[in-house]
Amino acid sequence: MKFEVRLPAMGEDATEEATVAYWPIEEGEVIHEGDDLVELTTDKAAFSVPSPKTGTLVEKVVEEGDEVEVGDLICILDV
Amino acid sequence: MSTRFPEWIRRKWASGQNFTMTKEVIEKLQLHTVCQSAQCPNLGECWSRRTATFMVLGNTCTRSCRYCSVDGGKPEALDAEEPRHVAEAVAAMELRHAVITSVTRDDLTDGGADHIGQVIEAVHALNPETTVEILVPDFKGDRDAIARVLAAKPEVFSHNIETVERIYPIIRSKRFGYRQALDVLRIATELAPQAIVKSALMAGHGETADEVRATLLDLLEAGCSAVNIGQYLQPTKKQREVHEYVHPSQFQAYQELAYTLGFEFAVAGPFVRSSYRSEEMMDARFARDRVLAGRRTET
Repeated sequence: MKFEVRLPAMGEDATEEATVAYWPIEEGEVIHEGDDLVELTTDKAAFSVPSPKTGTLVEKVVEEGDEVEVGDLICILDV
Repeated sequence: MSTRFPEWIRRKWASGQNFTMTKEVIEKLQLHTVCQSAQCPNLGECWSRRTATFMVLGNTCTRSCRYCSVDGGKPEALDAEEPRHVAEAVAAMELRHAVITSVTRDDLTDGGADHIGQVIEAVHALNPETTVEILVPDFKGDRDAIARVLAAKPEVFSHNIETVERIYPIIRSKRFGYRQALDVLRIATELAPQAIVKSALMAGHGETADEVRATLLDLLEAGCSAVNIGQYLQPTKKQREVHEYVHPSQFQAYQELAYTLGFEFAVAGPFVRSSYRSEEMMDARFARDRVLAGRRTET
């Protein structure tokens, strides 16, 4: 079953935008819930986004260097 | 592959059930938090643990410090409902320890001291077991304003020294002063010997270890018994750039130094903030003893 991963909110006025720094896994690889799915940077720090589900990474929708906002589709998992 | 940040400047982009609950409480009661205004990278972790640092007296500061992302300008009128709302949020979040800070309000005669006092009193009235840590502006060193806040009996009174004496005038609004900040802490120590007097400073503005040592000694001399030291992180590109990402081993050295010099509680680390995990301080024996002694004094 396809599962769309979207960037969750961190706070109302707080960090709402970030840059995709890198993907620690490749398409086709299995990821477990809670493991680092993608790394983002804001002005203040680097953030690892934990995977919300266990599954296979089917498609990276955003690439390294892309700007992402809360609610944006990041990737698709097969769960 | 790496980012422009050193490996130790990394957090989880946290969310989840407790995070959502914290967010809903804050929004429903129309409260401000410094977590949001300062774009704090700990927000995800703290809100997921159901803690937050409330920011009272509005969301607009009358002073502009070069490292701070809280909006400056003409502040809004005081919200008379704010004390009740903060107290209700503390109850809804079941906080054992509530940390409350504020913007600086030079436009108010008392700097907002009475309002801050009312917030503390409201929190205590609705949450008798909850300890309160109040992080105040300098009130221009006004003893009466400091006394008003202390009359509400916060268990922890905090004013941040922020940085070492040499760098202080470079990064803070001109209306702040290093010696005046120490005076605020000294006055609080004199007026409320049972309260835990606390301060915090940022590393990464170009200070030397010797300067940090001198500042720690100044804080001790002013009566501080607790200190937090954390890494300065640039909130947005509008604020001062980070001079240096201090290595975790140096933070460890600062923490050990603080204890060696005589602080009863000290925590230092890249993501330590003035209120970060401060509920842990309240579990320390010295803090429990102070709180008990303070309550005995009241009865």
